[in-house]
Amino acid sequence: MAKSSPRRELTSQHPHRRHQGIGTKPPKVENVWSTLARIWTYIRTEKKLFLFVLIIVVISSVLSLLGPYLLGVAVDKIIADPITETLLQMVGLLLAVYFLHSVTSWLQNYWMIGISQNTVFSMRNHLFSHIQRLPLLFFQKRQHGELMSRLTNDMDNVSRTLNSAVIQFTTSILTIMGTIAIMIWLSPLLTLLTMTTVPVMYFGMKWITKRTGRYFKDQQKHLGEMNGYVEEIFSGHQIIKMYSQEKRVIDDFSKKNESLRNASYWAQTYSGFIPKLMNMLNNASFAIIVGAGGILALNGLISIGVIVTFTTYSRQFTRPLNDLANQYNMILSAVAGAERVFQIIDEAEENENDKDTEDIEQIKGDIVFDSVYFSYEDDQPILKNINFHAAKGETIALVGPTGAGKTTIISLLSRFYENDEGHIYIDGKDIKTITRESLRRQMGVVLQDSMLFHTTIRENIRYGRLDATDEEVEKVARAAHADDFIKRLPDGYDTILDSDGKGISHGQRQLLSIARAMLADPALLILDEATSSIDTVTEMKISAALQTLMQGCTSFVIAHRLNTIRNADQILVVSEGDIIEQGNHRELLKKKGFYADLVYTQTSEQYILKKC
Amino acid sequence: MKKVFSYLRSYKLSVSIALSLMVLELIVELVQPLLMAKIIDDGILQDDLSIIAVWGSVLLGLSLIAFAAGITNSFFAAHASQGVGHDLRRDLFHKVQEFTVKHFQTFSTPGLVTRMTNDVTQVQGLLFMLMRIALRAPLFIVGGIIMAFLVHPGLATYLLLSVPVLLLFLFWILTRGVVLFRNVQERHDRVNTVIRENLSGIRLIKGFNRGEYEERRFKKENQSLADQNKKALWMMEVAMPVVMLGMNIVIILILWIGAVQLNLQEAQAGELVAIINYATRILFTFSVFTFLIMNFSRGSASAARIASVLYEKTGPQHFENLSLQPIKGGVRFENVSYRYGDQSGEILKNLSFSTEENKTVGILGETGSGKTTLLNLITKLLEKSSGHIFIDGTEIDEIDDKYLRKQMSVVPQEAHLFSGSVKENIEWGKDEATTEEVIRAAKDAQIHDFIISLPDGYDTRLGQKGITFSGGQKQRLSIARALVRKPKILILDDSTSALDAHTEARLLQTLKEQACTVFIVAQKISSFREADQILLLHQGQLIGSGSHESLLQTSRYYQSVYKSQMEEDVI
Repeated sequence: MAKSSPRRELTSQHPHRRHQGIGTKPPKVENVWSTLARIWTYIRTEKKLFLFVLIIVVISSVLSLLGPYLLGVAVDKIIADPITETLLQMVGLLLAVYFLHSVTSWLQNYWMIGISQNTVFSMRNHLFSHIQRLPLLFFQKRQHGELMSRLTNDMDNVSRTLNSAVIQFTTSILTIMGTIAIMIWLSPLLTLLTMTTVPVMYFGMKWITKRTGRYFKDQQKHLGEMNGYVEEIFSGHQIIKMYSQEKRVIDDFSKKNESLRNASYWAQTYSGFIPKLMNMLNNASFAIIVGAGGILALNGLISIGVIVTFTTYSRQFTRPLNDLANQYNMILSAVAGAERVFQIIDEAEENENDKDTEDIEQIKGDIVFDSVYFSYEDDQPILKNINFHAAKGETIALVGPTGAGKTTIISLLSRFYENDEGHIYIDGKDIKTITRESLRRQMGVVLQDSMLFHTTIRENIRYGRLDATDEEVEKVARAAHADDFIKRLPDGYDTILDSDGKGISHGQRQLLSIARAMLADPALLILDEATSSIDTVTEMKISAALQTLMQGCTSFVIAHRLNTIRNADQILVVSEGDIIEQGNHRELLKKKGFYADLVYTQTSEQYILKKC
Repeated sequence: MKKVFSYLRSYKLSVSIALSLMVLELIVELVQPLLMAKIIDDGILQDDLSIIAVWGSVLLGLSLIAFAAGITNSFFAAHASQGVGHDLRRDLFHKVQEFTVKHFQTFSTPGLVTRMTNDVTQVQGLLFMLMRIALRAPLFIVGGIIMAFLVHPGLATYLLLSVPVLLLFLFWILTRGVVLFRNVQERHDRVNTVIRENLSGIRLIKGFNRGEYEERRFKKENQSLADQNKKALWMMEVAMPVVMLGMNIVIILILWIGAVQLNLQEAQAGELVAIINYATRILFTFSVFTFLIMNFSRGSASAARIASVLYEKTGPQHFENLSLQPIKGGVRFENVSYRYGDQSGEILKNLSFSTEENKTVGILGETGSGKTTLLNLITKLLEKSSGHIFIDGTEIDEIDDKYLRKQMSVVPQEAHLFSGSVKENIEWGKDEATTEEVIRAAKDAQIHDFIISLPDGYDTRLGQKGITFSGGQKQRLSIARALVRKPKILILDDSTSALDAHTEARLLQTLKEQACTVFIVAQKISSFREADQILLLHQGQLIGSGSHESLLQTSRYYQSVYKSQMEEDVI
C-alpha cells in the first residue's frame, strides 16, 4: 500500500520536536521550585506588601493559638474560685485577643486577595500578549482545545491557589507547630497520647489517596472522552437526525456514560472517606484526651482546664494537618498548571530574529518571488523553486489542487512563515528586512473560513479599520453586496453575531469578510477562497466593486471556481509545490495544459449547449 | 433545582440510608460533650476512676460507630449522586437528540456541551455534599443548642439568642456574594470568549495586524475579571472574621455568666465546660456553612441551566397512524412559505413546483435566497409555515419523520465526519452495510482510490472532525455515506464546491445512474449538467424553473449567471 499522503497531514502528525513532551504529567520536585520562583517574579512588584502579609499571618496564627489557651486558663480559674479579681482581667484579655485575631485574619485575606488577583492579572496579560507574538506555525501544531485549556483552566488553577493556599499553608504549618509546642508545654504525657492518632491518620490518608488518585485520573479520562464525544455528536446533530442514527449514538453514549459513572463512583466514595477518617480521629483523640486526661487529673498531674484546652487544641491540630494535605495537592496542581503556562511563554516569539528590519512607509505593491523554497520539516519540501513577478496593481490568481501550496505562497508573503531559500522582494526590498508590523498593516486578507467575532455586524466590519465611521462601514457593506441582507435582519447593522456564525449563511459570512478587507483599503489584497459560497452573479459585482475601490492595489486570489479568476493579469497553476503553468487566461488556454483542461471541464456543458 | 431534585426519587433507598447514617453520626457528635461533662463532673471531680474508664470507652466506641456510619454513608451518597449525574446526562443527551436547528441556535453547541459536563459535575458534587454534610451544619447548630439546653438552660439561652443573629448576618453576606460571584462568572466567560476568538482567528488577527488591539481588548476584560474577583472575595472574607468575633464574644459572655452561676452554685464546672465546647463546635460549623452556601449557589446555577434544557419543548417525536409506506421519490410543493420564528420577513414565499421520481432538480440562487431552507423543508428538519408539501402524493405531515429520513440522504454544505474509521463513517449511512456496499458507495463517490492509498485503507482512523482530510476529500466521503443507504431522495447542499471539475463531472455522471430523485444546490452552472429541472430562487421566491435550455431563453437572471460563468473563448 502506498505510504504517500499529502504533506499537510504529515506535518500535523509529526509535531516539531520542541513541542513534544508536553503532557499532563505531574511536575518533578526540582521543577516545582523553579516554577514557584517564576511565579514569584510576578508577585515581586508587590514584594513589600507580600512580606507584610506574611508577618500578619504569623501574628494571626499566634493569636489563634492564644485564644484557646487563655480560655482554658480562665476556666481553671473559674472552677477554682468563681469570682476572682483576675477574672475581669482574663475576660478583657480574651476579648482583646479574639478581636485582634479577627482583625488580622481579615487583613491578611484582604491584602492577599489583592496581591493574588494582581499577580494572576499580569500573568494572564503576559501570556496573552506572548500568544499574539507567536508564529503561526505554533498554532497549526496545537489543538485549539488544548491551548484553550492552558489559557483558562490552568490559569484559573493558579489563581485559586494563590488566593488561599499561601495564607492557609503558612497558617497550617504555624498552627501545627504552635499547637504541638503548647501541648507539650502543658502536658508532655497527654501530648504523647494525643499523638497516637497521627500514624493512623498518615497511613489512612495514604491508603485513601492512593485509591482516589487512581480513580480521579480514571474519572478525568472518561470525562474527557465523553466531552469530546458529546462535542462531536452535538456539532454533527443535523447529520445524525438526517441519517436517523439517534439510537446508535444513544447506545454509544450510554456506554460512555456508564463507565464514567463507575469511575466517578469510586473516586467520590473514596474521597468521601477522608473527612470521615479525620472526624473519627478527632473523636478518638477527644476520647483519649478526656479518658486519659481524666485519669491524669485524678492523680493531680494536670488540671481540668488543661483537658478543656487540649480538646480544643486537638481539633486545631488535626484540622490543619488535613488542610495541609489538601493544600499540598492544590499547590502541586497549580504548579503543574503554571508550568504548562510557562511552557507557552517560553516559546520563541515571531520577531525574535528580526534585527535589521525597518518599517516600510507605503507599499507600492511590486512583488517578486525569486527561487523561493519552503518546508516545515527539513525533508518535506512544501514549495520548490517558486518564481514570479507581480507588478503594482496586478491581480494574480493561484489555482491548483488542494494541498498544492497555494496558501503557503501567500503565507510567505505575509511573513507568517519564513522562506528557507531564495528571496521575496516587495518594491525591491527583501521581505526579511521589513518589519512584519508595517508589512501587514498594508495588507487585507479574506480567508476561507471567514472568521467573525462575537459582536455586532458593524463592529465586525470595522475591524478592518478601527477608526472608520459608520458611513464608511455602510459604504463598504454596499460595495460587498452585504448591505441588502444586513438591512433585512431585525437589528440591521447592530445584529450581534454568534462566533459560530449561526444565524447567517456561509455565503453571507464571506460577504462580511470581504467588506472588512475593503474597509482596510490595503496596498496588497489577499483573497483565499473568499467567494467559494457566494453565487457567481454577486461575485462578479463584488469583483467589479473591488476593481474600482482598490485601484492600484495588488491582489492575490486563490479560487476553485475558474470564472472567479478569468480576468486575472496572471494565473499561476500550482501543483505539488511547484508552478507548472504561468500566464493569463488566453495564454494558458492556448497551451492546452492543466489549466485549459480544468476550464474545459467546468464550462464544457455550457459550451456544448451554446453550440446547439 | 426542583427538577434536579426530582431525579433523587429513583434513588430513594440510597438517599434515605445516607441521610439516616448522617443523622447517626451527628447524634454521636452531639452526645460527646455530654459524656465529657459526665466524666468531668462524676469522674474526675468525684475521684471515681471506674466512671472515667466506662464512659471513656463508651466515647471511643461511639466514635467508631460514627466512623463506620460515615464510611457507609459515602457509598450510598456516591451511589445516589452518581446515579443522578448519570441519569441527568442520559436525559440531556436524549433531549438534545430531539432538538431541531432552532434549539441549537438558542443554546449553542458549546453551551450544551458545558451543560453535559461541567454543570452535571457541579450538581453531582452538590448532591453528594448535601447527603453527607449539608444537613449536618444546620442540624448540628440546632442539635448543639438543644443539647446545651439539656445541660444548662440558663447558659444555653445566650447561645440560642446569638446564633440566629450571626446566621442572619452570614446569609446577608452570602446572598450578596452569590450576586458578586455570578458577575465573576460572567467576566470569566468574556475573557474566555476573547481567548477563543484569538485562537481560532489568529491568522486573521495577524493578517490585519490587530495584535495590539486584541491585547488592549483582552487587558480590559482581564482587568474587569480581576476587579470583580477581588470584590467578591473581599466580600466573602468579611464574613468569617466577623462571625468568629461574634461567636467568641458569646463564649466570653457564657464564661462570665457561668462564673457568676458557679459562684451561686447554680451551675457545675462540667456543665460550663460542656456548653463552651458546644459553642466552639458551633463556631466551626459556621465556616462549613459558608462553604456550603457558596457551593449551593454555584450548584443551583448549574441546576437551572440543566433544567432549561430539560424543560425545552421539542414537540412530539412520533405520531401514531402516520404513513409508513416506502416512498418513490416524487416531490410536490404547493404555495409553501416559511418564516423564522416571529421574525417579520418570510424566508420562503409561496413556493410551488413538482418533480417526478428519479429526476434531478438543480437549485440556483443568490447567497441567502433560501436554498438551504427549502431543502430543510423536504427533510422535515424545518416545518413549513403554510402551504402543502407532498411526497408521492402524500402530505409530508402525514409521513413519519424517521421513516421518511430513512429513505433520504443529505450531504450538507460543511462536511461533518465522526471520529472512527473511514469504513465506519461510510457505514453511518446504513447500519448493516456490507463491505461490498461500502466500497461500491466509495467508488461512486470517487473516493475509493484515495482511500486505498491510505496506510490502513478503509480502516484508517479519522481525527475528530476529519482534520487530516482535505475539504474535497471530506465532501466525497460524506457523499459516499449518503450513497451507501441507496436513498430515494438525495440532497446535495453545495457539497461539491471543493471538488475539481473532473471529479465533479464523474460524480454527477454516477449520480445520474442511481435510482433516486436528486436535489442539488450549487453555484456553478456546470454542476447542473445532469439536471432535468432547475429552480431559480431570489429572496425566497421562485423566479423561474425549467431546463437549462428553456431558462437560458426565458430567464434574465439565469442568463446573467450563465454569462458570469461562461467562456466566450473556450478553445
